Amino acid sequence: MIKIMTKKIKEKEFKLKVEDLTNKWKRALADYANLEKRVGQEKSDFVKYANACLIDKLLGVLDDLERAEAHLKSEGLSLALSQFRSVLKTEGVEEIKVEGENFDPEKMDCSEMVKGAKNKVIKVVQKGYFLNQKILRPAKVKVGSPSKV
Amino acid sequence: MTKIIGIDLGTTNSCVAVMEGGKPKVIPTSEGENLIPSVVEPVKNLVGRVAKRQMVLNPENTIYSIKRLMGRKITDEQVEKTQKMVGYKIKAGKNDMAVVEIEGKEYTPQEISAKILQKAKKDAEAYLGEKITEAVITVPAYFNDAQRQATKQAGEISGLEVKRIINEPTASSLAYGLEKKKAETIAVYDLGGGTFDISILELGDGVYEVKATNGDTFLGGDDFDQRVIEWIVAEFKKENGIDLTTDKQAMQRIRDAAEKAKVELSSSKETEINQPFITQGKSGQPLHLTMKLSRAKLEELVDDLIDKTMKPVEACLKDAKLDPKKIDQVILVGGQTRMPKVEEKVKQYFGKEPNKSVNPDEVVAVGAAVQAGVLAGDVKDILLLDVTPLTLGVETLGSVSTALIERNATIPTSKSQVFSTAADNQPQVEINVLQGERPMAADNKSLGRFILDGIPPAQRGVPQIEVSFDIDANGILNVTAKDKGTGKEQSITIKGSTGLSDEEVDKMTKEAEKHAEEDKLKKELVEARNQADTLVFTAEKTLKDAGDKADKKDKDEVEEEIKRVKELLKQEDLTKEKIEEATKSLSEKLQKVGAAMYQEKGKESPPASGENSKDKEKKKTGKKGDKEDKGKAEEGEVVE
Repeated sequence: MIKIMTKKIKEKEFKLKVEDLTNKWKRALADYANLEKRVGQEKSDFVKYANACLIDKLLGVLDDLERAEAHLKSEGLSLALSQFRSVLKTEGVEEIKVEGENFDPEKMDCSEMVKGAKNKVIKVVQKGYFLNQKILRPAKVKVGSPSKV
Repeated sequence: MTKIIGIDLGTTNSCVAVMEGGKPKVIPTSEGENLIPSVVEPVKNLVGRVAKRQMVLNPENTIYSIKRLMGRKITDEQVEKTQKMVGYKIKAGKNDMAVVEIEGKEYTPQEISAKILQKAKKDAEAYLGEKITEAVITVPAYFNDAQRQATKQAGEISGLEVKRIINEPTASSLAYGLEKKKAETIAVYDLGGGTFDISILELGDGVYEVKATNGDTFLGGDDFDQRVIEWIVAEFKKENGIDLTTDKQAMQRIRDAAEKAKVELSSSKETEINQPFITQGKSGQPLHLTMKLSRAKLEELVDDLIDKTMKPVEACLKDAKLDPKKIDQVILVGGQTRMPKVEEKVKQYFGKEPNKSVNPDEVVAVGAAVQAGVLAGDVKDILLLDVTPLTLGVETLGSVSTALIERNATIPTSKSQVFSTAADNQPQVEINVLQGERPMAADNKSLGRFILDGIPPAQRGVPQIEVSFDIDANGILNVTAKDKGTGKEQSITIKGSTGLSDEEVDKMTKEAEKHAEEDKLKKELVEARNQADTLVFTAEKTLKDAGDKADKKDKDEVEEEIKRVKELLKQEDLTKEKIEEATKSLSEKLQKVGAAMYQEKGKESPPASGENSKDKEKKKTGKKGDKEDKGKAEEGEVVE
């Protein structure tokens, strides 16, 4: 009698163990499959936005070059800058148009309040850019306030 | 089984992490960043980065540093200090608890914090693709009951069941797995953007308890930035006689440049601060800001701030009645601890290397995720997988070591590759199983050898021998070689290929690094030889095939080149350049013969439509490894 009981218990334990292992195996395979999907998505995102970091750095230099352009009336410099902008455009970089618009924190960063029409962008302090329709750098703007002196 | 997320709800920034595949992963926000600024505009319902962008526009409605008000009464000293700093209104709410008032409406700190937690929840759900209802949230060790309750409430308001509130220093200890190392006492040095905290933890009953805490709630990285800004302004005034503090735009640029310089000096000894057209001079001419800041100068500027952190550290240790040298482990938390001088001071004081390998901005969230994983039952009963510590491969033509399984590959695993013979009518191949990182077979360890024979006579490179490596979960390696043509196979079983001690693995890896340059040259030389060898073989075959079709003069030239290369290869002392030069010369002469062959063919039958003989010429280049028919493979090369 005891022999049969032990056998039955052992069988039951064995069945549970198999079930447990099967579940763990399935889980591991599922994690793997999910990882593959995530990696696939990340790869395609990477291709699209890999340049974002590099372009962000270049935008800082572009800012300074445009400051130079404003001061030096040099045709050569303007032509070179025009080329630079053209290259950026082909990489999917687009300037965020904000002049005279209402302030939108999704696209703009308010750096100062100045006298002007309420909530309107009075001056662009630093240009903002999209990269492939995604915000790369928000525009830094001065926003109007009628009560400011 | 839904995942439980871990949230570091910080004063300046918040961070979310979760356990995935047994490892903690920081969850990026919808903006693609790892940190959420703890800023809320409740009227327009803006949270995080977007709320921060309109702070200047809207100072009365934009709430930041709300953590300073959590669970505190209006009369609290912290609350009074905060009111002096911020642009929004703080007043007494129910039971005299501090609340904020915006456009006549009252918000409790819990409600404001809940908005941050809500964003964390939403971003986590987007990233994981599943609903999240539970979280572990961290709080400073010094938070009292009211403050902890408030944090729990904030979670509930945001729709999260708070499974546990854990202390920030304890979370960082979990991130480093220190409870597994059974560290008795831990010191956590947390220098963030706006606050400094020091905590001493003690292991008791398998759990870390906070023994003592201290700190300075108004000391952080922002103060370090401020010192740099002041220095820049002073230097500029000295050089140009102009005070930049009156120019808001210039100050904004200087603020950004100062922080950037500070960060750069954590990895460089010197940095340049370059801001052209910063302002205009008295006569309207443009002025530029250019100065160099050295790490030594920066350290001089902030020395007293770093010293200021050590006073609370001393007081804390006194409270805990512990000697600094007796602390088992030290952890660095918070972005400002990346500064080498800060690390140095901490190391000096405690007399040991601090733990800093986990990103100091994320370590608390990571620890919260680890705790969340334990509560979710993720981390229990994990099947620990081993890795193979050193690269495994076989010896190929030229005594080169060709890898099949790279080191640190998780096991069990298997990999196969097809090889071939090196000589005509070669009847057998010897498989020499190698372990190690060196490119030359002789420098690696031979784990075993065996022979597969019975290979039918064939030209070199024709037979297909598939070599398979299989390591099981116990680290036992099975190597099989199979002749795909005859089906004949031979194998060897090697035990203990993963059973090397850490020191041995370390030694072998360091040896490989040390000899990397010379090994590279050796391997390149061997490869050049192999290429030359193959080209000679191809050239001889081409000459035979060409027969009468090619010009005798061209053929003779090729014969001469073949002889020259053969003689060269007999020499012992060769450079890669010499071989490559001879190979190139032979290749060029060979192309003429090859071209002639095709021209002849062109005369006999017209080329297929769309192609002309010129195109065909281009395809035949006679470069190394160029196969005339796809069936050939070379030893050491992969064949599809």
